[in-house]
Amino acid sequence: MKRWLVNIWESVSTLLIGMGITWRHLRRIRKGNVTLQYPEETWPRPERLIGFDHQHYNVIRSRLHVDIDDCIGCLKCERACPVSCIKIETVKAPKEVDLGLTSHDTKKRLLVKRFDIDMSECMYCNLCTYPCPEECIYMTGGPNSHKHPIDYEFSEYDRNNLIYRFAALSDEEVEQRLRVPAPPVTNEASHD
Amino acid sequence: MTVDQIIRWFQSLSGSGEQAWMFLAAVVITGLPLFLVLATNAIVAVYVERKVSAFMQDRIGPMGQGAGFHAGKWGLLQTVADALKLLLKEDVIPSAADRKLFVLAPYIIFLAPFLAIAAIPFNQVLQVSDLNIGVFYVLAMGSFGVIGLILAGWASDNKWSLYGAMRSAAQIVSYEIPAGLSIIAVVMLVGSLNLQQIIEFQTGTRWGFLPNWVVFHNPFSFLAFFIYFISSVAEVNRTPFDIPEAESELVAGFHTEYSGMRWALFFLSEYANMLIVTAVAVIVFLGGWTSPIPGLFATAGWGLFWFLFKIGILILVMMWFRWTFPRLRVDQLMHVCWKVFIPLAMLNIFGVGVWALGVG
Repeated sequence: MKRWLVNIWESVSTLLIGMGITWRHLRRIRKGNVTLQYPEETWPRPERLIGFDHQHYNVIRSRLHVDIDDCIGCLKCERACPVSCIKIETVKAPKEVDLGLTSHDTKKRLLVKRFDIDMSECMYCNLCTYPCPEECIYMTGGPNSHKHPIDYEFSEYDRNNLIYRFAALSDEEVEQRLRVPAPPVTNEASHD
Repeated sequence: MTVDQIIRWFQSLSGSGEQAWMFLAAVVITGLPLFLVLATNAIVAVYVERKVSAFMQDRIGPMGQGAGFHAGKWGLLQTVADALKLLLKEDVIPSAADRKLFVLAPYIIFLAPFLAIAAIPFNQVLQVSDLNIGVFYVLAMGSFGVIGLILAGWASDNKWSLYGAMRSAAQIVSYEIPAGLSIIAVVMLVGSLNLQQIIEFQTGTRWGFLPNWVVFHNPFSFLAFFIYFISSVAEVNRTPFDIPEAESELVAGFHTEYSGMRWALFFLSEYANMLIVTAVAVIVFLGGWTSPIPGLFATAGWGLFWFLFKIGILILVMMWFRWTFPRLRVDQLMHVCWKVFIPLAMLNIFGVGVWALGVG
């Protein structure tokens, strides 16, 4: 009989303790919860430091980005890519046409007509970024966050949207860009 | 407004005796609001349950944020979206199932709380049928749903369904006893089975400040309230007494094979049953539509409010139970019922009898 009453008392009191715990959690829900309302809130972005001088090693594997204005069309990244996910087409510019300088003060001699990176094939090995003489292809974020913030949310509904077309010039645009500017003097017109 | 009053009103209008159309019209007029009450209760309770469970687990539950419509502010439309989804789902009946019983079972299960709510007084006047055996009728109808559970479990031709149905039959029939015994104690005190008379017994004050509710009447009736409430949690198959549908053991118990709208009927009846058992607890122990501050807010409108408010609190406590306690084992469940609750309920009857004779 005594054991029976003790059992009842123990179960009732421990049940009340358990209910107190859940009630405290219910009351404190505004102060802290574990839910992240994903599209509106995102996890803090990983800015990773590696052991050695990371300024020289482009190690944040987030997403390839190309500053197409700096690209000289050397195709080094295309050759370096182990999975061949980079496709570049270039057109040689005539001598008279000035395509401008890159940010490294290199004269651009080739017009990049097409620069596609298929991010669905990319394996984030980073090998394309090392050979680039102009440092215009890089992974976003990390040491490059001053050029482009880190971005790892690039899921798409259509797989074709994962092919990033950094340069997609039509034939007309290429022709327009490569048109030899008319000489300053109209002497040549009377020649023919 | 009871059915009888409506029929009498029809008679006074047409000047003739009781006819079939009068009865039908009166039943429809009173039945539709009751169905709406049950459906609204399910929709609101599912939403509240999700939120309460989320908050107790440090989550935030359904939220409709961001661009587009989503589920409304704070996910308020989540249950509506769920109901629409269930309506559009494919209706699957297993080929080995007993087709007629399989189709019939969800309706029987829903019929039980729907019949029971007919006798529930929502306030001083709002009651479909003022039966002189109200408590008895509500309890009887409440346990009538177990037939539907067994039908569902048997007709599904599934071992989990059958196990769930057997367990729920054993559980519901067992827990009827302590629940009934603890109500008998109150019926002894009041001297009536009529729900309105039980509530009227509880009007006024006790010791000048407490409402004169049965739960405060004497220590035995205080204990009886807890026995009844915990037994009623077991009767509606909710955690910690949810062994009939124990997810980790029986997939979903008796409604394993049900999908779509039929499954929704099971869900509807679960919440309807919660409403019924908490309504009985409120009427019998917590003074029904009487105000917790005696003398104030005692009109019929406030009566409806207090009644629903008390029901809401008790349903919230049931949810609190659900998200706090782990499930009992079958033998533990039976132990609690037969070795703890029934002796205590017997003691209560004796104690209440002695109290009524000695103290008054």
